[in-house]
Amino acid sequence: MNRILKIIKALRACISIFVLSAFFTSCSPEEKEDTGNSLTQLIRPKHFPVAHYTHSNNPYTREGFELGKRLFFDPILSRDTTISCASCHHQSHAFADRGIALSIGIKGGVSSRNSPPIFNMAWSKSFMWDGGINHIEIMPFAPIINPKEMDDNLNNIIRKLNQHPNYPKLFQTVFRKTNIDDQQLFWALAQYMSNLVSANSRYDLFIAGKENFTTSEMKGLKLFRQHCESCHKEPLMTDYGFHNNGLDEQFKDQGRYRISQNEIDLGRFKTPSLRNVELTAPYMHDGRIASLSEVIEHYSSKIKSSPTLSSPLGEHVGGFQFSDEEKDALVDFLHTLTDEEFITNKALVYP
Amino acid sequence: MKKLFKITIYSIVFGSLFILNSCSKSNENSTGNIKIQNEFIFAVNTVPFALNQKYVHPKTFDTLTYTQFRFYISNVRIQKEDGSWWNENESYHLISAKSAEEASFTISNVPAGNYTAMEYTLGVDSARNMAGAQGGALSVANEMFWDWNTGYIFLKAEGNSPQSSTGSFAFHLGGFSGTNNIVTKKTTNFNGAKLTVSGSVTPSIVFLANPARLWHSSPSVATRSTIHMPGAPAVTMANDFYGNYSFKEIK
Repeated sequence: MNRILKIIKALRACISIFVLSAFFTSCSPEEKEDTGNSLTQLIRPKHFPVAHYTHSNNPYTREGFELGKRLFFDPILSRDTTISCASCHHQSHAFADRGIALSIGIKGGVSSRNSPPIFNMAWSKSFMWDGGINHIEIMPFAPIINPKEMDDNLNNIIRKLNQHPNYPKLFQTVFRKTNIDDQQLFWALAQYMSNLVSANSRYDLFIAGKENFTTSEMKGLKLFRQHCESCHKEPLMTDYGFHNNGLDEQFKDQGRYRISQNEIDLGRFKTPSLRNVELTAPYMHDGRIASLSEVIEHYSSKIKSSPTLSSPLGEHVGGFQFSDEEKDALVDFLHTLTDEEFITNKALVYP
Repeated sequence: MKKLFKITIYSIVFGSLFILNSCSKSNENSTGNIKIQNEFIFAVNTVPFALNQKYVHPKTFDTLTYTQFRFYISNVRIQKEDGSWWNENESYHLISAKSAEEASFTISNVPAGNYTAMEYTLGVDSARNMAGAQGGALSVANEMFWDWNTGYIFLKAEGNSPQSSTGSFAFHLGGFSGTNNIVTKKTTNFNGAKLTVSGSVTPSIVFLANPARLWHSSPSVATRSTIHMPGAPAVTMANDFYGNYSFKEIK
């Protein structure tokens, strides 16, 4: 009798394990279906250097990325709920604004500098045109509280998020805390932004030996390496440094000096990456130059001298005097830096 | 036989529960709390200092009404009689002159014993200024952080003054690198007194803070009524205030 009872007990245990495992396996296929529209892991291309942002306090999860993405596209981060981060950072333009020199904030406020594109931020040690912000996690604080941009304050945003029908649950899933706070908000946004990685342009394929360049593109690459690379370092196409590229003799915007208070930094701005540069017009910190060919013209014939002009350009005051063919070749090369996959990948935008 | 076995098991379980219980009780006795209090005075002999009251500065003769006076104390550690140090974990505290409650904080789970010195930092160490989003006292939502030029505002003094051309003043002091660095580590030996920590009483360490010291060697608010970034003027003000900030008593 005892034996029979034991067998029944054992059988029962087996059945419940079987039922449980069936339940779990039935869940996982659904999750897998979703991954087509999300990023399950950090994208860190092999031909890039080691990323500066390591997620040490903020471990990357798919749910964290999704939450950051949703927040990025949600106008809840502005005081009157009219604009989101995505209002001035469009995927079609590599997350720069759509052809606007100075972006428009809530109630028509005009920002003071050109909205930069957003990609490969995990490799950057500083943010904004003057590099005043030292960490990707607290970068969004500036546009959120800037009166000309989103004009909100963090306590208000945290209140709105905690009262929201969906956000408390989404934050709990990622951070396992009862209440949403600003640290979690910044962490979620950083999980999203740090994984906006652009590394699949024709240039990248060329470097990998999977694509050929035209004669003009090759010529452009050679000229680029000769004249531009000292600041626009491959493969990220920026040295993340600060330079005065000869736009002005007198500086309306003091640039890096605003942060460092060091005279050598007057009129110096952070080197923008040239990746996706075809999509991010107009150019320079104030969006003063409308087209790529005009940018090349600037470096060819319009470099202005000043005490803080960056040294590689100092030997070429007036400009590099490119021929028309060379100018075309440079533009052709710059077009190879456009990453079609990056600007069309649906996993990077909130539907 | 079975019964005997059961009894043995029960006695082991209960016995160990009893032992565990008595252990945790003795653990409670082996730690205690310390309260760190800040008393505010204005210049000398004007006690107490409070927000929203008029004061005349003895050096600049400015009439000053403070609406806000907040500053960070961080990285508190205390030294036992035997010379060993006990560090408070995640030690960041935002002090405000708004109320006695906001001018103090409690350090808990301090091992019982006699202590002879305390080390603390006025400001926030450079590591946390460069470590991205923080929580607790270091939350950016406390509005002690520069959005455009990353760094904590270590000390915020705001208020009104008829001598200021705008009618108001706002001094935001911070800076954690190079010549602008005002992160200030200080130590007190409690003027020879002993700090006794036990489970039964919570001793208070009282410090004196004097908001008038900001202008000890800085000019009148008629000359400069704001500081909004690290730099030489912030260094001068911070040195004067931090240098004067001092241990008063243990009670």
